[in-house]
Amino acid sequence: MSIATRRLALAGIGILLGTALSACVAGVGYDGDVGVGYSPGYVEPIGYDYGGWGGGYRVGPGRGGDRRSAPSASHAYRAAPQSRSTPSIPMGSRGGGSHGGHR
Amino acid sequence: MLVNRVRYLIATGAVGLALCAACVGSAMAGSFDPPPIADQPSTEHHVGKVIWAELVTPDLAGSERFYAGLFGWTFRDLNSGDRHYAVALLDGEPVAGLVQHLVKASDKRQPFWLTFLAVQDVDAATSAAVGHGGKVVVEPRTYNSRGRQAILTDPQGAVFAVIASYSGDPPDYLAAPGGWIWSSLLAHDADTAAAFYQTVFGYEVFDLENDDGMQHVILSTDNYARASVNTLPADSARRHPHWLNFVRVADAADAATKAVALGGSVLVPPRVDRHGGKLAVIADPAGAPFGVMEWTDADSKEEPK
Repeated sequence: MSIATRRLALAGIGILLGTALSACVAGVGYDGDVGVGYSPGYVEPIGYDYGGWGGGYRVGPGRGGDRRSAPSASHAYRAAPQSRSTPSIPMGSRGGGSHGGHR
Repeated sequence: MLVNRVRYLIATGAVGLALCAACVGSAMAGSFDPPPIADQPSTEHHVGKVIWAELVTPDLAGSERFYAGLFGWTFRDLNSGDRHYAVALLDGEPVAGLVQHLVKASDKRQPFWLTFLAVQDVDAATSAAVGHGGKVVVEPRTYNSRGRQAILTDPQGAVFAVIASYSGDPPDYLAAPGGWIWSSLLAHDADTAAAFYQTVFGYEVFDLENDDGMQHVILSTDNYARASVNTLPADSARRHPHWLNFVRVADAADAATKAVALGGSVLVPPRVDRHGGKLAVIADPAGAPFGVMEWTDADSKEEPK
């Protein structure tokens, strides 16, 4: 095999490897941090209890203006001022005028 | 001589092509591009709003049958390499994502609905979460169609995702039956959990009176209630903090009955809640918990008993 042929072959291999490596590294390319795999596959630990809610246990939203707990300075969070009315979920219809949440 | 040269060239070319194909194939299989959360982009942004939910399930086809039968959802299947994903549609609009993910019995894990909270800056939210005791499950990552997202846990271990959606955040309106209407975080310590989410998302926090003495607070942005934080019942050591999302239904009791007929189970039987309608908590056939909630007209609301 001549030197020229060998150089040609090596150049070909180089181009192919370069293409392959760039495909591996760059993914789909958006900001350099894309396309290395979609992995939302977190699943919860098994064997835990759900439910068991007592009679007065409430998780739902109110209708707005629900009664607040007595003011307390011991919360880890900053409670909204007592003057603020408890909001509701949005109550307007899709694409239709007022959203109607309690403010 | 000429034959040898040709053989040499063919051999080296084939090796290169094989390497290239393997790498490209690998990149393609691992580069599933999750779809946008909305077909019709919005220019709105509502930090702290639950704007998407994604079910991780070992049986995509079975899950589709269950949720189609229960809520009338239809599905747009997206398959890429070994990744199987379906967009659930309500009246033709995306309402949720379903991801097939093998869960081996030895994993001691179960499927669940992952809650996506809207943020403007995923990296800033992730840093704030980590800086206040949260952990990163999946690092922030940008997807071509959807936007940037990360999966985190709060300091008590509840898993949630943050997302800056390229298609904006859905406008605020009352969910139609079959759509997500409410989300609750159940935590060992609702007080410090609320403080954590307030720090990360800037919520206003409203503390409400509860009949059972358990803490119940409302997280709010844009003057709308976005979610509640509740203390987990303390009757069992086998409880862990988690987000629970509710789908609006016309009749929670009917939904629970139908869910059982479709292979699910009832975790919390239908009961009247603060808003005056009934809610129930259900597990789908693979064990993923979610809620159903009625939202009746104000005039017809029942008083909680």
